Amino acid sequence: MSGESAAGTRQRCIAHVDMDAFYASVEQRDRPELRGLPVLVGGTGGRGVVAAASYEARRFGIRSAMPMTEARRRCRDAVCIQPRMSHYQAVSRTLFQVFREFTPEVEGLSLDEAFLDITGSLSLFGSATALAQRIKDRVREESGLAASVGIGPNKLVAKIASDLDKPDGLCILLGDDIRAALDPLPAGRIGGIGPRTVERLAGHGIHSVRDLRAAPESVLTRVFGRFARQMRQRAEGLDERPVCTHRPDQSISAEDTFEGDIADPAQLRGELGKLCDRVGQRLQRKNLRGAVVAVKLRRDDFSTFSRQRRVSPPLGEAAPMLRVTAELLDTWLAENPGARLRLLGVGVSELSPATQLSLFGQGTEGRDLDQTLASIRERFGDDAVARGRARPRD
Amino acid sequence: MKLTATREAFLDPLQAIIGVVERRQTMPILANVLITARKGTVRMTATDLEVEMVATGEIAADGDGEVTLPGRKLLDICKALNDGAKIVVDITGDKATVRAGRSRFTLATLPATEFPVVEDIHAQQAITLPQGALKRLLEKTQFSMAHQDVRYYLNGLLLEIEKGRLRAVATDGHRLALCDVSLNAAADGNHQVIVPRKGVLELQRLLHADEDLTLSLGTNHIRVEVGTIRFTSKLIDGRFPDYQRVIPKQEGKFISADREDLKHSLYRTAILSNEKYRGIRLDLAENALRIQAHNPEQEEAEEELEVSYDGQSMEVGFNVNYLMDALGALDGETVSVQISDPSSSCLIWDAGTEGCQYVVMPMRL
Repeated sequence: MSGESAAGTRQRCIAHVDMDAFYASVEQRDRPELRGLPVLVGGTGGRGVVAAASYEARRFGIRSAMPMTEARRRCRDAVCIQPRMSHYQAVSRTLFQVFREFTPEVEGLSLDEAFLDITGSLSLFGSATALAQRIKDRVREESGLAASVGIGPNKLVAKIASDLDKPDGLCILLGDDIRAALDPLPAGRIGGIGPRTVERLAGHGIHSVRDLRAAPESVLTRVFGRFARQMRQRAEGLDERPVCTHRPDQSISAEDTFEGDIADPAQLRGELGKLCDRVGQRLQRKNLRGAVVAVKLRRDDFSTFSRQRRVSPPLGEAAPMLRVTAELLDTWLAENPGARLRLLGVGVSELSPATQLSLFGQGTEGRDLDQTLASIRERFGDDAVARGRARPRD
Repeated sequence: MKLTATREAFLDPLQAIIGVVERRQTMPILANVLITARKGTVRMTATDLEVEMVATGEIAADGDGEVTLPGRKLLDICKALNDGAKIVVDITGDKATVRAGRSRFTLATLPATEFPVVEDIHAQQAITLPQGALKRLLEKTQFSMAHQDVRYYLNGLLLEIEKGRLRAVATDGHRLALCDVSLNAAADGNHQVIVPRKGVLELQRLLHADEDLTLSLGTNHIRVEVGTIRFTSKLIDGRFPDYQRVIPKQEGKFISADREDLKHSLYRTAILSNEKYRGIRLDLAENALRIQAHNPEQEEAEEELEVSYDGQSMEVGFNVNYLMDALGALDGETVSVQISDPSSSCLIWDAGTEGCQYVVMPMRL
């Protein structure tokens, strides 16, 4: 359905729910002794980054994605915790169950963030405010956590609204309030405007959303090309993107930043093995296969490379994935002798459902092993078992 | 060396071999064709190191000699000249001059000694059969070959001589095509080779008339001689999967349907199947077949077809392209389709297409 015809129908109502400092809040919930303390969840090794910082920690200027060393320098007393991803995933499932009590149209953006199209459910709750409050209450009842809820006529406004009143926020932006709320915000708050674009806009004297809204056509066209019209609409608080209940995965990937830089090819291959295990398991859980396999490499000077190869037939198991990625890695290492890597990643894209049956076996070399590894890890933790090649050498 | 002939005498051998010349090469000399004159016979050779084609032309030479010339350029020049034009190619040093009427072209040559040729393939077996028979084998099976599969032995066609029959088998791991003919001449012993994809396609292009051809198999090469053309291809060094194991036995209940009707129903339904995965659903009941498809836009297609079937009712999914390929390769009026259950392979054949069998694995619904 095109935006034009949608405009003629009734006004949509979209909620954006965002958990406050999700990982850190989960830790504080589970360990009461941490409440009120600055808590950092993230890699605690030499070069880990902050995945989540409690609000107590944010007072020290700590933000997520900041290197852990920098965060600790800012706040010596911060409690640093290794993330427990599978635990957060379980909490996330509870949250999404709550979201679905309000509407079947839930679009998850991450473990702790979702859009809800509540156009149809609004009348059941009387008002947008009542509905938003109910979502917050139900989240707290089921998970003991605080959520910030923003409601607007579209995804753009809802997301900005949820951010305006954090933490534990509730913000409704409708009608004339939208322009008043959006105008003073920096242009970078509009989805699709990244740091690069912010810089280019600043070069044209465009800093706020108001500037963007009022900018001449020619400038917008120069910066955004064919997206100029769309960006001006965003600045006006207009956004026709629907809430997509099911967004098919574009790619599945995993990456790791090492404790210390690694130059030894054998050790790198070991790391590659672990990454392939992770990607393979996620592919198999979703019953997908991928036709393009890629490795991502970051040198100690932060220059980043990627190498990819198309495979036929598409693969979903760790063993063949490791074979392809190891070849890509070896080729790259041969071109860059002596390179020290700080990060390695494996990604699989051009995904398709694994529904076509095969004549000769199921083309699922190593799948039994993958599944055994997965079930051991599920019961005993991620480090309970590793492939021989992936083990550090003494 | 000086070569003289009409435009057509140059064009015929060039056009026969040019398909082998890749548009982009790893070695410059592979863009060239080798021209050899020996004892009054002029031959042209093209190769991509995997497939080699040699053609003899009705070209007069003023003595023995050999040279290589840029293949596609020479072909384009000959093509662009007037019908019946008389062409003279004069090779001196590292240049070749092509003259015809008032046109003159100077081409760069490369030394013939650097051109890789396959001489003796050490044939272990040679058979003679009609061109049409081999052409049919290839046409009925080649579409099932894999393409750039990591299982490299699937990127080609299995040719097998067994008990006086010549058989072609192709599979991409999802479907399989088999066709065989009996050989008139006694062929003793069994022999299995895998001809690479490109070789198969070139060979297919080459076969036309009903004259006989000679097919020889060496340990590393296959060679086919047809009239004035000699085709040689390297073989894929690998083990083809045990195809006999995956062909279901013709037993139990099967569907009989008008082949054209079924093909057209599938073709129409396919329009609204997922463009990438091509899944369709067959809904099988007594004497009735329903075919359904839908796409991500939630559009739907449904076809109903009268068939003859008294087996179990079931629903089974397929990649519609695989079914259409098989039905397109058959010639008969009535096709037989045997499906034992939704997760086992399906066998397709018809009484009017002797020696051909197609196997397709289902998709999970």
